[in-house]
Amino acid sequence: MRRALTLAAFLAIVAASIKPMPLFVPFYGRARLEPLFKRYDPPQWREYLPFLDGVRAHTRGGETVAVLVPTPRWDPGYAYAYYRASYVLAGREVLPLMDPEGRAHLENLLGAELVAVWNAPPPRTHQKLVWSGHGGVLLRR
Amino acid sequence: MAAALITVLSLTVLGIPFVLAVDRDAPPLRLLGLAVLYGTGAIYFALLALSVLHVKWTLLSVTIAVLLIVSPFLRSLSTQHSALSTRLHVVDILALITPIAFSIYATMVAIWQWDFWAIWGLKARVFLERGGIDWRFLESRWNLFTHPDYPLLVPFAYDFAALVNGGWSDRWLGVLFVAWAVAFLLVARELAGREVSPLAAALVGVVMSSAGISIFVGLAEGALIAYLGAGVLFVRRALLFDDAAAWRHGAILLGLAACTKNEGVAMIASVAIAISIVDARRVVRLWPAAAIALPWLVLRALHRLPSDVVSGSLVERVAAHASEAGTIFKLLVRSSYQPWLWAAMLFGFLVVPMASRERFVLLATLFQLLVYIAVYFATPHDVAWHIRTSWTRLTLQVAPPLAFAVMIELARHAEARSEQQ
Repeated sequence: MRRALTLAAFLAIVAASIKPMPLFVPFYGRARLEPLFKRYDPPQWREYLPFLDGVRAHTRGGETVAVLVPTPRWDPGYAYAYYRASYVLAGREVLPLMDPEGRAHLENLLGAELVAVWNAPPPRTHQKLVWSGHGGVLLRR
Repeated sequence: MAAALITVLSLTVLGIPFVLAVDRDAPPLRLLGLAVLYGTGAIYFALLALSVLHVKWTLLSVTIAVLLIVSPFLRSLSTQHSALSTRLHVVDILALITPIAFSIYATMVAIWQWDFWAIWGLKARVFLERGGIDWRFLESRWNLFTHPDYPLLVPFAYDFAALVNGGWSDRWLGVLFVAWAVAFLLVARELAGREVSPLAAALVGVVMSSAGISIFVGLAEGALIAYLGAGVLFVRRALLFDDAAAWRHGAILLGLAACTKNEGVAMIASVAIAISIVDARRVVRLWPAAAIALPWLVLRALHRLPSDVVSGSLVERVAAHASEAGTIFKLLVRSSYQPWLWAAMLFGFLVVPMASRERFVLLATLFQLLVYIAVYFATPHDVAWHIRTSWTRLTLQVAPPLAFAVMIELARHAEARSEQQ
């Protein structure tokens, strides 16, 4: 009896250790897994990533870029925009216009050399058009 | 993809002299698994040293730094004389299924995890642009979301891959996670083969091939599971068999775990306390772990990089969360990763008396879990959110060595009873 229980426990660990997620991936097509891979990218922000790629292509390392997007809240909304911009625009100093407490930081807009405006009205502080595309504009002071 | 594969190959080749310097009798599976882990550690120290010396990272500068680091250990290549080998079993083939499936999962698209482009990948990319650690970036109050205090082994591995690639690309970085998972599997399988029959060891390998995988590709968990799991398993072996090489591996791997995530630092403490209880005299043999962890801890203190969990009034937060203890524990139970695996381990623990022989692994795991739970009571974040977004990963980290220990004991008892009959 003890030996049977021992073997049962041993095999139970083997069975319970199976992780379905990676194991069954080969049986799904990439298209079916797309929602998993895109779960952090909200559908309404689809054009935002190509826009950031365009901003990266039109800015240099070390420049300061503020990010202006149409969202009144940090989470969800501005956090996504800011974190994504920080990653894509690595090498530039990316400045947020809002903090996690939802407070506006207009000093960052005034201090930035450039502002990346996506689907929002451009500010008066930056008026020289550097580039536009994918629903946004890149403006220099 | 070629660059990612060359990166893994480079890490492996680079790691071999280190493994042999520590353990010239390393059998092939152990040698190969540890080579990947030590190679990644060597790259971490090469990039860290160049940063501290203000030498810009290029493939040439990193290669020279690595050669300087590895050169004292090259002599070990000529002294390798492993007479040991691991007896394999046909069931070992099953242990390849999950890593193969995982390699498809991890490399199907560019890394997609939120924490990759907000923490691990972001730092790597910023540092690559600068050619070294960007302290101004880490110190900026706007970048607190990147957790500036987190250790840098994983971002540096990404940077090495980018240098090999000739520029940043997140498309194939998932290959690194496959390499770390397979490295852990090889180490665990070799260690299991020393204690139980080839069939039982192969089944332990099957479990390790799955438990050692982090589905959170892009986050540091994949590397941490390998370092932390292998480190605990080597210390376990060292204590059980008074194996000097295992002591060295255990301490080095735990040190590298501390260079991977803060949980690695906690694990050094948990292991030290567990050893103190099991055999206090031997705790000093962990000194390489502390020495390896120290440089980053010093650098982050010098740069005053804040850690969100310990900032502000700890006492106030703990007192506030204490009233939510019931809710916290309910959430922990509900969010545990692979609850059936934990239930099966508990079942095994009840079936066979193992508290004596395996008390080191049990204690180390227990202390580590207590540290994690203590952090939830001290968190400045919404505790429910904190648990939901991290407990799954934390339980994932500590499960492999515990599952290993329970399975070995079950197999030993089953085999002993077979012999008696």
